[in-house]
Amino acid sequence: MTKEIRNDLKYTDAHEWLKIKDNTAIIGITDYAQSELTDIVFAELPEVGKELIKGDELCVVESVKSVSEIYAPISGKVVRINEKLEDTPEMINESPYDDGWLVELEIKNKRELEDLLDAGSYKKRI
Amino acid sequence: MLLKSPLNNIHKEFGAKFKEFAGFEMPIQFSSIKDEHLTVRKTVGLFDVSHMSNVWITGKDAEKLLTLTTLEDASKIKDGMSQYTAILREDGTIIDDVIFMHLGEKYMIIPNAGMSDEVTEWLNKKSDEHNICATAENVSRDYVILAIQGPNSRDTLQKLIDVDLKKVGFFACRFINISDVECIISHTGYTGELGFELQINNLEKAKKLFYKILEAGREFDIKPIGLGARDTLRIEKCFLLAGNEFEGGRTPLEAIMSWVIDWNHDFIGKDSLLIQKEMGDYYRLTCLECIDKGIPRHGCEVQNEGKKIGIVSSGTLSPCLNKGLAMAYVHPEFREKDRILDVIIRGKQVKAKVVKPPFVKKDWYKQN
Repeated sequence: MTKEIRNDLKYTDAHEWLKIKDNTAIIGITDYAQSELTDIVFAELPEVGKELIKGDELCVVESVKSVSEIYAPISGKVVRINEKLEDTPEMINESPYDDGWLVELEIKNKRELEDLLDAGSYKKRI
Repeated sequence: MLLKSPLNNIHKEFGAKFKEFAGFEMPIQFSSIKDEHLTVRKTVGLFDVSHMSNVWITGKDAEKLLTLTTLEDASKIKDGMSQYTAILREDGTIIDDVIFMHLGEKYMIIPNAGMSDEVTEWLNKKSDEHNICATAENVSRDYVILAIQGPNSRDTLQKLIDVDLKKVGFFACRFINISDVECIISHTGYTGELGFELQINNLEKAKKLFYKILEAGREFDIKPIGLGARDTLRIEKCFLLAGNEFEGGRTPLEAIMSWVIDWNHDFIGKDSLLIQKEMGDYYRLTCLECIDKGIPRHGCEVQNEGKKIGIVSSGTLSPCLNKGLAMAYVHPEFREKDRILDVIIRGKQVKAKVVKPPFVKKDWYKQN
């Protein structure tokens, strides 16, 4: 089954997507990532206000059998988290690019955006 | 090199996701763990558990060998009955928990996956040391093992069998013909639901039987079930998993297996157990149901007021209860029913309550 990739997003090798707005980026995991993780039953999101450096642990998603850490693809401050995931973590599987978004970060260093992959480059990775 | 179940290609056909378990490549799930789990609780599911082991015990002293090496006095297990028990080292720690089946002149034991060599060697060694006329023979490679579990399991199988399955009582075992396939059937299982397990030593016929059972169960919405759901099903009933619950060397007293210890016979490890029983201060397996959100995992600490008083041996999210569950070895002073303890999950204190097993009661599906 082909995994969806959206052209208007940025990506990382670790299968995260970013929707870049003016000063913030909404972050989630890709369709490929959610299918590898299988059914997500728990998502532990960071506190709003938390400051992260690129590479820090951003959040944790769990399936019944495994725990997966997701790392911050860019540095920034957490300004919003998807609270709906507390009751319906399976949205990450069902709608990884829309309702299953994870965290919104205020971008700290715009130069880090240059390291991200575009849709074409990400597609080659999977 | 990973071993594969003989049914590996069938699992691929059904879209299984695979993972390594005890040296075998086995299906973890087909649809989803939660869906498969609830299917077993509500109707019927079919498992391939061929990664488990098969060992024949033969010889005129076969019964004596089992009596010496297990917690059970095998003379009490009549022909046509099976028994859950454990094989201990001299120091009282568990080598493996097994089921053994009394089938005429011989016994078949079912050690856990990856344990067939160790258990066979141990039994033969003890047989020699104690001049017992019995032999253990590892025949794991020759057998496919299927488990059919769930409220509609008997009705499903009955369509393929002439013998009245209602006459195969709980823990009974016998040779049987299912749709022209010779099997050993036992009224046993690892899910806490009505169910049967089949040992089949004709690989080609076993594959055909897998399909036949799925066909017979179609009216009950039967599904193939992976090891992921097998684990969540057994944790909900507080059944032990050797790799987790016996890790580091645990005794049957610690693992709350006293109900299977027949103290009225001599067995290897008995002296050590008696000493431990006398001392009484050992950690004991305890069932913890999370109150806060979180999923306990093997190795998580259990704390009481900031002090470590236990460790999780098995943890998961219960598909039936939608709560985190843990089986944990806990200090004897802190495990009374309803006590609230903390399970430490990634540095966070997650409140959990001590409950009496099982987490999910019998016939859960009737209320759900």
